[in-house]
Amino acid sequence: MLSIRFHGRGGQGAKTASRIVGTAAFLEGFTAQDSPIYGAERRGAPVAAFTRIAKKPIRERGLIARPDLVVVADASLIGDPSARVLDGVDERTVLFVNSPLTPDQLRARTSVSGRLTVLDLTDLALKQFGKRGAISALLGAVAGRLAGLRPESIREAIVRELTDLGLTAPVIERNQALAMQCFEAVQPVTLEPGPRAPVPSAQLRTPTYDPPTRGTAGITAGPNSAIRSVSGWRTFRPVLRPDLCNGCWLCFASCPEGAITIKPDGKPAVYYPHCKGCLDCVEVCPTDAMTVEREPEGANK
Amino acid sequence: MNQASQMMTGNLAAAWGARLADVDYVPAFPITPQTEIVETLSKWCAGGELNARFVTLDSEHSMMTAAGAASATGARVFTATSSQGLLHAFEVLYTVAGWRVPFVLVNVSRALASPITLEPDHNDVLAARDSGFLQIHAETCQEVVDSILMAYRIAEDPRVCLPVMVNLDGFVLSFTREPVVLPEPAMVHEFLPPFRPAHLGFKASAPHALGTAVVGGSIYTYFRHQIHLASMNGLAVYDEAAAAFERICGRRYAAIDGYRLDDAEDVLVMTNASASKGKAAVDAAREEGRRVGLLRLRLIRPWPAEAIRDALQGRRAVAVLDQNLAPGQGGILFQEIAACLYHEALRPRALCSFIGGLGGKNLSEGEFRAIFEQTAEAGVRGKGIGPVLLYTEAEHREMQQMQYLAHELKTGR
Repeated sequence: MLSIRFHGRGGQGAKTASRIVGTAAFLEGFTAQDSPIYGAERRGAPVAAFTRIAKKPIRERGLIARPDLVVVADASLIGDPSARVLDGVDERTVLFVNSPLTPDQLRARTSVSGRLTVLDLTDLALKQFGKRGAISALLGAVAGRLAGLRPESIREAIVRELTDLGLTAPVIERNQALAMQCFEAVQPVTLEPGPRAPVPSAQLRTPTYDPPTRGTAGITAGPNSAIRSVSGWRTFRPVLRPDLCNGCWLCFASCPEGAITIKPDGKPAVYYPHCKGCLDCVEVCPTDAMTVEREPEGANK
Repeated sequence: MNQASQMMTGNLAAAWGARLADVDYVPAFPITPQTEIVETLSKWCAGGELNARFVTLDSEHSMMTAAGAASATGARVFTATSSQGLLHAFEVLYTVAGWRVPFVLVNVSRALASPITLEPDHNDVLAARDSGFLQIHAETCQEVVDSILMAYRIAEDPRVCLPVMVNLDGFVLSFTREPVVLPEPAMVHEFLPPFRPAHLGFKASAPHALGTAVVGGSIYTYFRHQIHLASMNGLAVYDEAAAAFERICGRRYAAIDGYRLDDAEDVLVMTNASASKGKAAVDAAREEGRRVGLLRLRLIRPWPAEAIRDALQGRRAVAVLDQNLAPGQGGILFQEIAACLYHEALRPRALCSFIGGLGGKNLSEGEFRAIFEQTAEAGVRGKGIGPVLLYTEAEHREMQQMQYLAHELKTGR
């Protein structure tokens, strides 16, 4: 059985990528299983998805603890402990990271080691489509290539999954074409599935009674969302061009994080530590004064 | 690979179950992780693929009342909910069971508040175990669609005439795609003839009262006991339905599902989708020479006591892995397993209770290994253990860190 784990941010397309690989494998006659895991939906929040491919019925379910291939849609997830990107990764695991950095730069800046493949899918998508968007087809094609799937089945899987999402034929064709470029651009690797060393017995520990002040789900540490930065969630950032702003405040009203304030001159200002990059402000801006810039990789956001 | 199979989530399989059963009425209210089911049915009703009336209600309490009332008119009714939604409808569950209305309710398991979460365990569906609903718990997406068809046949049988709940786990089944073969409509028609109830058919021109008031206890006792008898009849009706389903559709679902039991000295008892992982753990343990097997409980109500006794008698040790927690007691299914083995002369030397997978916590390979090791030791000792909580040292440390953030860390502002 081949186990592929996808890590992305809400809106990037990790779940759809896992389905593209699942469908492609299924079309090739394999037994496939795919599933996502996420909390209450939030664009930018860490998302994981899992695809299993086998020749026999699949008995595993839920999260993949020891992946053969890990596909990372946004390199900033590697440093986020809640995303658990490197959990269960060993010397046999192949890692793909969507990043403008070279493998050596990534190794230097993160705790990634071992077998690493890097390609800047976001840049390819920006150049080809001229705007940001989900990169599910690209991630799916890369993962399919690394998993040894055939291009025809990936092409067909992209059509099926993107049609299922309600995308139009021209959009699907553009995605398909770029996905196949990505497929070709990635060097095939030899994945090494097969039995891993047995896991030792779990070290169990039963919690003891705590007083209700501690043993009840609650927070007493005072308001701390103000010190919680969600900067790392952004793959793109909204940037205001004041000369185009008509002061309508729609961006201020639509920001789900309250990250936009209004200055004394009536113009909005984005407070970046609380901006998760959902870009709802860009969508609602009637004068295109809110523009989009890609977050530089590894920069101090 | 069967050419007819397609990749499908558990939720889509549930919607297909309703569509293939050609239901007439779908009262709906959304809740994660069930919402996809009613969304899909809504789309099909609007598009004409399903000739049913789809109605959104103001709450699950209203939804379940509407389901029972529509069923009392003789309509074939399907509805679905999850977790807090099931609990919000709780009063009505017992009420409609007493109306003896044979509709099908899908519950997508999700752990209960508080604290609130989205991921699965079985405290929701097992809270409803005494409502009078029959309960079938599914392991795979295939089983979801097949169980819904079986559920209608069992529910509508005059020997039963009770509502049936089909359970599937949130996320690990509801959002998980795997290959599913949809039965052909002709097969479904043969297995599940159109619903023509002789005793139902409430209509405006012929009003009657259902669930009327009774005082004094003896009348109440009679009617409540009838519900019990109807549920117990469900055992034989279930077996007939399973045999007919196998004959027509080629897949067999016994009330209990034994995996590598033949020569197993220790047996792990589980339910629902995580039983797949349990089976994989059995394979792994067998490779290391442990003679273990797994018993999956599929039919929970009525309780197939005889089949369970047959499967577990003479074993060295039995471990029950409850993905639920009854505070002040322990595991719910452990109690029921223990009760039905008590009078068995060849009862296992040790009964072990494990509590795991709460709130969707992953059942890890290491946890299954711990279960098999501790169960074998208990079997050798001849003394059971538990309830043992599947919770690790590493998780304990993480929890302490989070408690520090939630309580001790001051913002310094």
